[in-house]
Amino acid sequence: MSLVARHLEAHDIPTVVIGCARDIVEHCGVPRFVFSDFPLGNPIGRPHDTAMQRSIVGLALDVLESACAPRTTVQTPFVWDPDPSWKAAYNRLDENGRPAARGEGADGG
Amino acid sequence: MTTVERKPEPARLDLSRRTYIDYIDRTREYYLAQGFNNPYQWAHYDDVPFTRVTKPLTRSRVAVITTAARYQPDKGDQGPHAPYNNGAKFHAVYTDPIDPPPDLRISHIGYDRANTVPDDIDAYFPLARLKECAAAGRIGSLPPRFYGVPTLRSQRQTIERDAPELLRLCRDDGVDVAVLTAV
Repeated sequence: MSLVARHLEAHDIPTVVIGCARDIVEHCGVPRFVFSDFPLGNPIGRPHDTAMQRSIVGLALDVLESACAPRTTVQTPFVWDPDPSWKAAYNRLDENGRPAARGEGADGG
Repeated sequence: MTTVERKPEPARLDLSRRTYIDYIDRTREYYLAQGFNNPYQWAHYDDVPFTRVTKPLTRSRVAVITTAARYQPDKGDQGPHAPYNNGAKFHAVYTDPIDPPPDLRISHIGYDRANTVPDDIDAYFPLARLKECAAAGRIGSLPPRFYGVPTLRSQRQTIERDAPELLRLCRDDGVDVAVLTAV
């Protein structure tokens, strides 16, 4: 996805990527990135929370207009869960260094 | 076989470490722990292109580009609680009309099935919200179709085949700017 954004941008179509995997998107390098610090699969907001989704899409449009240089990252103000234990579960290894949960890769979503 | 010493992270947020998930490191360690010693090389560039937005968004045509997959009734369970379904994955760029609203699912392997349920397309596909933006005059218009791009292990396929095709489609449709969402 980041590669597509780079290609469009290089050919005069400005882009904004909305995603949940900050390290992957920034490792690649994109012009504009709106980061949702949510579990992969919810870049536009929490399911069924239309107001939040509206806010995040609005933020993406604002970033599209206002960014003045590439690698502009803006993080949404939303927190998935005050208890951050969901972050520990993704591809977690147990105390013996063995896989504890499933989910094997990421694109940036 | 290489094993990696790694203890479960505490539920408490450790502010001495970065607070967002390091998917690259975690995925590499996950595979190393299973004996795969050939970690994926994530795309990385020093230079990033940039095109300043000069045309007001209120007069711009905004493309929606997604990695979500068309629902394919003949390809097995793609419901919100489906396990990873490799058969429902797609491998080529596609386009579909924005009306009627499409039925898109998440076929990507990396989706966080442990922590969330994809039962609301609007959480991963911004079309409905962008239609509102068009109706409200925040953006000029949407093209009559949206664009799907596959997530492939081969970066070369994406760079040499899919990205140029997306560019051609966007130009054909008079697109000014693009919103890309990864799932």
